Amino acid sequence: MARSETFSGRAFGYLAMLALLVVFIGPIVWFVLLAIRPADTFFAMPPVLRFQPSWESFRYTFVEPGNNLPQLRNSLIVAAGAVLLNLPFSFPAAYALSRYRLRGRKHIMLWYLGLLMAPPVAFLIPYSILASAAGLKGTYLSMILIAQTLTVPFSVWLMRSFIDEVPVELEEAARIDGGGLWTILTKVVLPLVTPGLIVTSMFAFVFSWNNAAFPLVLANRATATLPVGTLQYFGTAGVTWGFIAAAAVAAMIPPMLIFLVLDRYVVRGLTFGSVKG
Amino acid sequence: MTVALSLAASPRRRRLPAALPWLLIAPSVLLLLALILFPLVFALKNSFYFWNLQMSPVPMGYIGADNYRMAFSASFFLGALRTTVLMTLVGTAVEFLLGLGIALLLLRNLRGMRLTRVLLIMPTTIAPIVVGFLFRYMYDPNGGLIPWLLQSAGIPLPAAGLLGSSSTALWAVLFADVWQWTPFFAIVLYAALLAVPEDVLEAARLDGASAFKLLTHIKLPLIRKTALIVVMLRFMQLFNTFDLVVVLTKGGPGASTRTLGYSLYQAGLVDFNIGLASAMTWLIVIVVNAIIGLFVFFAFRDLD
Repeated sequence: MARSETFSGRAFGYLAMLALLVVFIGPIVWFVLLAIRPADTFFAMPPVLRFQPSWESFRYTFVEPGNNLPQLRNSLIVAAGAVLLNLPFSFPAAYALSRYRLRGRKHIMLWYLGLLMAPPVAFLIPYSILASAAGLKGTYLSMILIAQTLTVPFSVWLMRSFIDEVPVELEEAARIDGGGLWTILTKVVLPLVTPGLIVTSMFAFVFSWNNAAFPLVLANRATATLPVGTLQYFGTAGVTWGFIAAAAVAAMIPPMLIFLVLDRYVVRGLTFGSVKG
Repeated sequence: MTVALSLAASPRRRRLPAALPWLLIAPSVLLLLALILFPLVFALKNSFYFWNLQMSPVPMGYIGADNYRMAFSASFFLGALRTTVLMTLVGTAVEFLLGLGIALLLLRNLRGMRLTRVLLIMPTTIAPIVVGFLFRYMYDPNGGLIPWLLQSAGIPLPAAGLLGSSSTALWAVLFADVWQWTPFFAIVLYAALLAVPEDVLEAARLDGASAFKLLTHIKLPLIRKTALIVVMLRFMQLFNTFDLVVVLTKGGPGASTRTLGYSLYQAGLVDFNIGLASAMTWLIVIVVNAIIGLFVFFAFRDLD
């Protein structure tokens, strides 16, 4: 893009940029405004842009009576639990798939990838019934366990791309020094791939946080996660839009912050490490 | 120095057992197999039984292939397959093309472009179910922003609203998906285009290649692999869509937005017909596996 541009070319560029922001960020702003609007302006025509911000929707959803506050905590428990349980399974696998020329390595990688593309809805009914049969229905454990079908394959792929970047020579030096596999993994590899582990874990957190399908059939009233809990506002006498927006905005914030922090790695995370970005 | 010393100290270099890498992989594979095979076997068995969960907590009688017959005869499956394929093909194509256009814009050296790029990905970070809430609000026929904008522009709208009319509902659902996922294509394709070497482009320019030729003959072939990967990932996600439909239209009006994912959801979790749902599970798993196989063959042939 070294060539100098004409004035009209630049003007077009800025207009297009503005249009992008209006189209892709505008709806988010509009939804956030819904959460702080007075109820009589929810559907005012023409739309009302000037209003006295009100925290009533947030107060109702998260303070008094605060029905959504336990759901926020549930979302955190399930997503954090899913990430923590996933690490001891995915890290060794990612390491082995990065370091060893195994027969069938490609097929194993593709098998994990296939799981990421499997239709979650196909598993909802069996999981729901099997969880009941196992006495796990409504528990955090059931949601954390089932989330592994997403977090483990995702983390293996993404983590492997980070381990690939750690020079193998360091491990070989440690091996020649007589280090066993455990020592090499914990003293050499782990410290070097910690940044990759953190990035992977944060994306896996988002993955699990945003998944509504599994909690929809596994949670009960006490363990419902935030997106599922938000559904409660539909179907009662009229849709209470302010409360939906307040709860949904709270659900939107953690993934957005994580993506802002991980800006450099967003492309890699979204493509499971297959595009470096 | 240390290397030499330790070599001398242990002349027989410790060799790692060949089974070791497999031991490292095994826990994840076993866990996933357990989580996948149980439900699949469970569904396979129940697909041959009549079982309505509202009537009985256990299967109510062996009925052979009736569930499969029903899935096909009620045009439940084929109709939904048609809707799903249409939505998936159009959605993936539109998102790819729009994303490519935006990626080219993001490459331009304008003030504020970096910030725009960082903000642009925000729709993709939102849970699909929340995107459903967001668009249901914006589509509301009584005071929603989108009908208001369209009407102000003089575009006539169906009386039942964009989501309530069978001629527009599918496109309205798809629009929400396009809004959420076009940034995904834009950001990934931007990253891929950024890696196209400038000297290659410069050489082509000197040869008098137009901007369009530059794109179709040089840039696109060079980012082919990345493009295939993102198209594949998105294609499958779109094919599996159901939560957006649950929130926006519940498959309606009529069957106009009943995707495969939604009809399965409806059979099992709305009508509690576990037998039918199980048969559909297997039909969907077979279709999805066939598509994944095809894609993987083309996109990941040279995976190392």
